[in-house]
Amino acid sequence: MQQKNSDELLPGTLDMMILKTLIRGPMHGYDIAESIQRTSDDVLEVDEGALYQALHRMELRDLLDSKWGLSNNNRRAKFYRLTATGRSHLVGETRRWSRLSTAVSRVMETN
Amino acid sequence: MAWLHKSRLRWRALIKRRQLDRDLEQEIQFHLMMRAARYHESGMSLEDAARAANRQFGNRSWWKENIREMWSTGVFESVVQDIRYAVRSLSKTPAFVTAAVLILALGIGSATAIFSMVNAVLLRSLPFQSPDTLVVLWGNVQRQKVERRGASYPDYQDWKSQSRSFTDMAAYVFGSFILPKPGGSEQISGECVGPGYFELLGIKPVIGRTFHPDEDILGKTAPVVLIGEGFWKRHFGSSPEVLGKPLILNRQQFTVIGVLPAWFRGLTDHADLWVPFSSSASAADLADRGSREFPVLARLKPGVRLEQAQVEMNGISNRLERAYPATNALRAVEVSPLSTEIVGALRTPLMVLLGAVGFVLLVACANVANLLLVRAESRRQEIAIRAALGASRIRLFRQLLTESVVLALTGGALGLLMAFWAIRLLTRTSPISLPAFLDPRMDWRVALVAVGLSAVVGLLVGIAPMLQVRSRDVHGALKESSARSGGHGARHRIRGALVIAEVAVAMMLLVGAGLLMRSFLYLSAIQPGFDPNGILTLEISIPRIQPPGADGEQGHPDQRTATAARQLLDRVRALPSVMSASISFDYPFSGNSSAIRYSAEGQSITDARTTPRAYRHRVSPEFFSTLRVPFIAGRMFTESEINSAADVAVVSDNLARRFWPGQDPIGKRIKHGGPSSTDPWWSIIGVVREMKFRGLPNNPTADPDIFLPFARPPSTVNMLVRSASDPAHLAGAVRRAIYELDSSIVISDVSTMKERIGTSSVRDFQLDDGNFCRACAFISLNRPVRGYGVHCPAANARIRNPHRRRRDRRRSR
Repeated sequence: MQQKNSDELLPGTLDMMILKTLIRGPMHGYDIAESIQRTSDDVLEVDEGALYQALHRMELRDLLDSKWGLSNNNRRAKFYRLTATGRSHLVGETRRWSRLSTAVSRVMETN
Repeated sequence: MAWLHKSRLRWRALIKRRQLDRDLEQEIQFHLMMRAARYHESGMSLEDAARAANRQFGNRSWWKENIREMWSTGVFESVVQDIRYAVRSLSKTPAFVTAAVLILALGIGSATAIFSMVNAVLLRSLPFQSPDTLVVLWGNVQRQKVERRGASYPDYQDWKSQSRSFTDMAAYVFGSFILPKPGGSEQISGECVGPGYFELLGIKPVIGRTFHPDEDILGKTAPVVLIGEGFWKRHFGSSPEVLGKPLILNRQQFTVIGVLPAWFRGLTDHADLWVPFSSSASAADLADRGSREFPVLARLKPGVRLEQAQVEMNGISNRLERAYPATNALRAVEVSPLSTEIVGALRTPLMVLLGAVGFVLLVACANVANLLLVRAESRRQEIAIRAALGASRIRLFRQLLTESVVLALTGGALGLLMAFWAIRLLTRTSPISLPAFLDPRMDWRVALVAVGLSAVVGLLVGIAPMLQVRSRDVHGALKESSARSGGHGARHRIRGALVIAEVAVAMMLLVGAGLLMRSFLYLSAIQPGFDPNGILTLEISIPRIQPPGADGEQGHPDQRTATAARQLLDRVRALPSVMSASISFDYPFSGNSSAIRYSAEGQSITDARTTPRAYRHRVSPEFFSTLRVPFIAGRMFTESEINSAADVAVVSDNLARRFWPGQDPIGKRIKHGGPSSTDPWWSIIGVVREMKFRGLPNNPTADPDIFLPFARPPSTVNMLVRSASDPAHLAGAVRRAIYELDSSIVISDVSTMKERIGTSSVRDFQLDDGNFCRACAFISLNRPVRGYGVHCPAANARIRNPHRRRRDRRRSR
């Protein structure tokens, strides 16, 4: 995962963000990457290798389902969507992330 | 559930491997295209956009590989990959594969075939109920060494009543029955058995019942008979009405009371009929405590060990010895497991055979390992390239190992097929006859052993080329010149070691086989003391007029049988190409000679250990001339001596030399029984050279022979016919001549003397020469293939670098 200033993310964060992105509906890999980049105001630029490894990994864990379909410009693309397991996993991960980030912020604010 | 989902996807991935790769590629291409399109939208030219997109993507090989690996089923998939690669690479060298598979097939096949015999004889348990507790009681006597004799009926009764170690006991003995048929009689083999016999073995009748104890009382035997299923089918058409039907055997009427299963042929292995034991001989004979013949089947009580039973029987024998010193001096009983009785004699030769065939397999392995080494030589470059591309050494080892295992499994499969046929051939042509119920067919255990053996063989031969790959000389291998491929250093040593090992083992096998062959030839060259060539032997049953038991044991000879025998001899002698013929109760290697105790006039006191014992034979005057046995002293009986049943005897050399060394034995006298017996004295009128009457290379016991005139014959006698040509051709003519005289005569057991000696030597010597021929053939087959293996690398060098040779030639000019 590459950020403009080469910060590192905790593992699993990319997975969580992908799941969140797919709440809105099935997407193919390129759109998922674009969406994350746009939503984060270009702070987070998704590396293709990390993206596709994450997507395939989650598909194997039954968090995602994949289907081949046609993109907007009529090209054949692989669309991913959330499964029920994926949805509940997202809920859990979101909760964990907010606990984690709150904790880190609290530490950083003390002086 | 997640893992189930994962496995399902992975199995799908395994099958649609290529589809998966294409999908991934397409997914990436799509992404690339989208990115390039966006760059293009923001102003770049098409090629710049494409190039930028590509660059952005970076090196995708390694994470593509990661994704692929996520989808693979791991080890299993790479093994499948290895197998596919191995098959592809093997199919490029069909000559090598054919040679290797053939060699392995021969080795694994012969090992499997012998193992199936070992399995049938030694590993599978006998088809009786709880066979481990079944034992056989053999009466024996202490002479120079302990000799088996069998039990007598009174002893058997005493054992039964006095012993506590056995749940039950049943005597059993072979019996021969004559069944009248329209157009002649048929001789049927059967058994006379005690009442618990079938229950001890766990045999249940198909229909009907087995004997009751009160049907087997001495002197009051019930005329009941059990028949085998085969007999039932042949003579009663498997009709369920057979129970209660009469059956005429030996001119007596029996009633059928049951049918036994087809596979059971009795412990004597040839029986089709069973009658109660007390009909096996006359009541008087059975009541004689000194007349010993038969073994006794018994079952140990639960918790009783064999040794305990043996100790108890020793105690009983001692008591009987004290109670009946005349008949039971030095008599004891051996308690022996049934399995030892049936297959014990086969154990050692089978083990030897297994060892031999194991060595043959080792030779085959060394051979194939050599071939594999040579092959690995020529693939050094290919292996080096794979190593350079990143294949770990373990992966390379696995690849080579997979190849050799695939080779071995193929060889094993072919070998299994060959073993299947070999087993059938072996059982059909084996001179050692296995009991009918021990069927050395292929079963799951044998097949499993074959597969396991192939796998082990594959791993074993795969080691050699793996040692080759160990060298890290990748760089050198890549640019090597083939002048080096002749092999140097470690490679040469490995191949050299293999060749040496192979030659050593092969030599050992050849020498072993050669020695055994020589022993066998020596055995067949032993002179038995008579001329066995050209003699036909047959057993003749002349039906009596009087019922059995009244045939004149008290000095009234059965003239009808004697007359009939005389007429038969005349008729047979009149046939063309018959040089001489004789009739006797038994003959050499007939297996039915009986022994008696005798005394010589004026002999010194002997103890039980050295009691004179000899085999008694009743013979017609032409006996010795038919067998061509030379007389050392005296003469043969005359016709008148036979007709008058004179008390004369011809003895063998050892008897004369024991009692009258250095004197003229003619005129000296011997008699049946001990010194105080009232039997008439026989005058010795002739002495013949000692014969090997009962076995090669020596008689089983050192007892000499006494020949008496052919008088008081039983209903079954034996005829010997010497033919000027091949005796086997004479059989038909002799049969016809006999039937013409009296069609109620039953002829059985027709054979030539040479065959008899051969079968008995094989049985005694426990040798199956067919197998050794196969082993020798196999080893000699191996040699040319090995030669090919050794020469190959030189050829390899030549083929690979023709340029160099041309250069050399130019230089030499």
